[in-house]
Amino acid sequence: MAVPVLELRNLTKEIPAAGQEPFVIFKNISLTVNEGEFVSIVGPSGCGKTTMLRVINGLLTPSSGQIFIDGKEQKGTDGDLVMGFVFQGASLLPWRTSLKNVLLGLEGKKPPQEAGQIARSHLNLVGLSGFENHYPHQLSGGMQQRVNLARALAVDPRILLMDEPFAALDAQTRTFMQLELLRIWSQAKKTVIFITHMISEAILLSDRVVVFSRRPGRIRSEFAVPLARPRDIDIKSDHRFVELENVVWKQIEEEVKASRESSLI
Amino acid sequence: MKGALKLISILSGLVLWHLVATRVVNDSSLLVSPLVVIAKGYEMMFVTAELYPHLVASSWIFLYGMLIAALVGVPLGFLMALSPVTRDYVNPWMTALYTTPRIAFAPVLLLWLGIDIASKIAIVFLGCVFPILINSFYGMRVVSREFVEVGRSFRLSGVALFVKILLPASVPFILAGLRLAVGRGLTGVAIAEWFGATEGLGYLIFFAGQTFNIPILFVGVAVFALLGIFGFQVLKIIENLATPWRKEFETK
Ligand SMILES: Nc1ncnc2c1ncn2[C@@H]1O[C@H](COP(=O)(O)OP(=O)(O)OP(=O)(O)O)[C@@H](O)[C@H]1O
Ligand SMILES: [Mg+2]
Repeated sequence: MAVPVLELRNLTKEIPAAGQEPFVIFKNISLTVNEGEFVSIVGPSGCGKTTMLRVINGLLTPSSGQIFIDGKEQKGTDGDLVMGFVFQGASLLPWRTSLKNVLLGLEGKKPPQEAGQIARSHLNLVGLSGFENHYPHQLSGGMQQRVNLARALAVDPRILLMDEPFAALDAQTRTFMQLELLRIWSQAKKTVIFITHMISEAILLSDRVVVFSRRPGRIRSEFAVPLARPRDIDIKSDHRFVELENVVWKQIEEEVKASRESSLI
Repeated sequence: MKGALKLISILSGLVLWHLVATRVVNDSSLLVSPLVVIAKGYEMMFVTAELYPHLVASSWIFLYGMLIAALVGVPLGFLMALSPVTRDYVNPWMTALYTTPRIAFAPVLLLWLGIDIASKIAIVFLGCVFPILINSFYGMRVVSREFVEVGRSFRLSGVALFVKILLPASVPFILAGLRLAVGRGLTGVAIAEWFGATEGLGYLIFFAGQTFNIPILFVGVAVFALLGIFGFQVLKIIENLATPWRKEFETK
């Protein structure tokens, strides 16, 4: 039976503007993500995806609505560490080596020796054994995102939030990292929310693809991905993959067009 | 390669100086060759040893001034960055003090603190503290939102956020502030020792100027320059120790 891990109820974020209508970033998002599920969110640029992830993580407070994790309501950043966040940009601390970056969420929470072990095993999981003492600038973009992933996974979160983690990578590295993420995910068995602009990436990785409307972001539609696991690169030529890609693409195209037209008025 | 260029630059500068002094000016009451200065410096260092008391006096004033400036400037800069109340409170005073020429304070400080070391340290302190304070403040203010969010997403406590994110991110800025402070601190030493001092490099230069002793005057100036270079080298060592991640970045 499917066990819900994350539940968003009518989540809304707006920015008050003096003497004007508030600036609504996303509105009435209700979403349930089950244990071990991999859910991708796609939508036009600026529709509020990053903001939603930051609200879920507690970095921003929602204007209204609630966030539950394992049935427990989340309030700001006060609670326990139950989420791992892989950020959109380069977010490794440049003054810390790979190992120390991965240790960031473990220090003070685990005995040093155990923390070290956990950090090493996660660097190993993402294929970076031997790079423990490298500083971020000594790593390639793909390697940096591996460290980012290891850092988020090392705290053993209930949910992994990933904000376009591969956006800055070249096409080849990106494809490779997608396959790596499939492998890592199958080992780590985490519940994941993954934001991306690349529809094929969303389909390849996910159990479910959620399409956001233009801003103010709402859930426009959801698609279960009808493809068995384990998956590999060949699956991209499967007719069900291609059909789904087309359907999702049409919806996003509509949203982008509509937002262009409304901004022309 | 880099070292060779530096050496060539220094040597050619000295040769030029020598040529200007001996061929163009050719008046030892205005300018003397670096050879004369080096000879005089050597004599004052190793033969008569008359340079030492001046060097020691100036070095102590400089060191104390820098140290106190760092101990005051860094925490105050941090406090201003983190607390808007402190910022608003300190800002008008800081701007006023920072923009007033320090030399204007010298007589007052002398009057208040006497002609001993205290007033001199205060003058050096006034010179050093602002670049350190402003850089520490700025460094902590511009820590990228992303890094702070990384810390918060890992649920770091306020103290941990400061120690693990804000502080290391500000270190390069603090070091830049210290580098600026070296120059301003040495200026402070010179100013301090022009007023009612009986020793120190500033006094030496002042005295030599009054008595038209050009070689000694230049020895004083050269030792000031060497002190500055020495200060920079010490900071470079501190920098390499404190931010190994930047050192490797630069040599790449
Ligand atoms: N603090 C804020 N104040 C005002 N507007 C904001 C703020 N934060 C975000 N926005 C606006 O909210 C909208 C959504 O931003 P967000 O970064 O969430 O979009 P996104 O879907 O992640 O876009 P992208 O796909 O390009 O990363 C944007 O129009 C942005 O300008
Ligand atoms: Mg975004």
